[in-house]
Amino acid sequence: MIKDIAASGNAGILSFIQALHINSIVSSIARTFSRFRTIAKPFSRFSTEGKIGILGILCIILMAVFAPVITIYPPQKITGDSLESPGPGHILGTDELGMDIWSQICYGARMSLTIGFAVAFLSGFGGGAVGILAGYMGGRIDQGLMRIIDVTMALPSFPLLIVISAFLGPSILNVIFILVLFSWAKPARIARSQTLSLKQNNYIIAARNYGAKPFYLLWRHIFPEVMPVLLVLVIGISSHAIIAEAGLAFLGLGDPTSKSWGMMLNHATGFRSIYFTPYWQWWLLPPLFMLIFLLLCLAFISRDMERILDPKLKIKKGF
Amino acid sequence: MVKDRNSFIFRFLSTLFVILAINFFLPRMMPGDPFSTTSADEVGEEIIVMTEEQRLYYMNYYGLDRPLYEQFLVYMKNLITGDLGRSIYYKMPVSDVIMLHLPWTMLIVVGAIVISTISGVVLGTLSAMNRKKGSDRIMMTGMIAFAEIPSFLLGLILLLIFSAYLRLFPLAGAITPFANYNGPAEQAWDILCHAFLPVVTLSLSQLTGVYLLTRNTLITVTTKDYIRTARAKGLGEKTVWIRHALRNALLPVVTRTGFMIGIMMGGVVLVESVFSYPGIGMTLRSAVVGRDYPLIQGILLIIAVSILICNLLVDKIYGKLDPRVVI
Repeated sequence: MIKDIAASGNAGILSFIQALHINSIVSSIARTFSRFRTIAKPFSRFSTEGKIGILGILCIILMAVFAPVITIYPPQKITGDSLESPGPGHILGTDELGMDIWSQICYGARMSLTIGFAVAFLSGFGGGAVGILAGYMGGRIDQGLMRIIDVTMALPSFPLLIVISAFLGPSILNVIFILVLFSWAKPARIARSQTLSLKQNNYIIAARNYGAKPFYLLWRHIFPEVMPVLLVLVIGISSHAIIAEAGLAFLGLGDPTSKSWGMMLNHATGFRSIYFTPYWQWWLLPPLFMLIFLLLCLAFISRDMERILDPKLKIKKGF
Repeated sequence: MVKDRNSFIFRFLSTLFVILAINFFLPRMMPGDPFSTTSADEVGEEIIVMTEEQRLYYMNYYGLDRPLYEQFLVYMKNLITGDLGRSIYYKMPVSDVIMLHLPWTMLIVVGAIVISTISGVVLGTLSAMNRKKGSDRIMMTGMIAFAEIPSFLLGLILLLIFSAYLRLFPLAGAITPFANYNGPAEQAWDILCHAFLPVVTLSLSQLTGVYLLTRNTLITVTTKDYIRTARAKGLGEKTVWIRHALRNALLPVVTRTGFMIGIMMGGVVLVESVFSYPGIGMTLRSAVVGRDYPLIQGILLIIAVSILICNLLVDKIYGKLDPRVVI
């Protein structure tokens, strides 16, 4: 009796649940949770250095996003006396034109991050896609592409970068374009070799025999396998791009209308007698420190990711 | 194997051709032209004092008014005969301008290679001998963090500390201007003082690579049977490490040194700018600002070809040193 009631009650609840599609909602919640877990799990796998790196990057990203909130003065307006030392009015002082240095640092973070991530994603995933396609198709296309990759990798990138950016004119888009042009080859090569070895696997051959179309194979089977390696490369490329942008700007070949950290270094070192005066302490040091901090954070993350993804080390660590 | 060698030479030649083509076409597509700045007092300031007639005369004189492919053929022909053209800004042959500045670059690059290789090998050996101890871990972490700082930022830090703050070294240049030397020793000392910081910067940026390579190869080598045999023979630790382990671990370092030249030639432009060192890097920078096409081409060519040749040499030497490798 009681059982029956319980059963009917259960059935009632069940039907009620079904009617509300709670089942699907619960499963979707579970799915999002598991997705969260897969995101959160690698984070706990990071070592202390890696966590410091991630937190550092987050801080810089927040700084760039909320630049208008945490600064008082616009970065490109003259808001004080020339070369004011750090004080209550201007937290980090002003440069030779009387522009606030703290604002320049915050807005400059946008430049470095934009260029770093844009170049990394375009060349990492673009180059990766090219490499996967070439490795999958093989034959003439593959051969030709390998030749192009060889030549691209043998070119002396930085001297050419200087000349090309001088020729194309300094703007953010041009700098991104040139950097992508020089950094797509490495991910393409690695994606290609990975694809070549993956292609031989039985499960892929089986999937193909079941009638899987090339696009499905690439998207469902090959791309997820190549993805982790690409991710590590993307971080490496982004730090290279940030260095290159800072270097170009330091040489005076950056976008003159933007205040990037490299540009600040260029202005400060171009100032006559900067080394004989105390000005360098608040004009030259902040951008220098921020650039090094950003690069170190990226390096920590990429080293840690390499360690996590390297199967040999994984066995040793007992993951 | 024959096919391999062919593809190797093909790769070398095609890279060279791409560099030549970029080298030729790029400066010609740059906005502005060299004659608008040729008479300006300061680089970057554009004062047009030439009449249209004079401009056309100069365009004709330097061959800039002919079609591009014709210019390209002339350029290739001149290259083969070793003629790099005349610099528009310096008003003398490009090869002379390069020869004037190349020794300074060679001085710091070669100095940096020697220092970073030797100290990298020594530190790597020490680290490998003390591995699993605290000193190795500290050294490793420090070195890895160090490697991530690009050379020109490192140079700026060194310049700030040693020249601006402690005033131990000169701030800029390669020699003291208007100096009267009492003998060659004093002159050498002066050059050394000026070259010291650039050399240290360049070698610090490459040190970690050599260090890690030596350390890791040494650790692999010491697990080999012949090391155990050497120990079993009763040889001293010193002999085992230096004569048996290090000698075999040095092979990859040779390759690394060769590739280092390439990386340094790229980074030297920035490092020279930091220290205002009058090498070809600084010259390239001023040539880009002054739109001195022949000079840009000449310097790019020198840098690119020296990198290519270094890579080629490394492959050849490695084949000789390690007979197991077939090129």
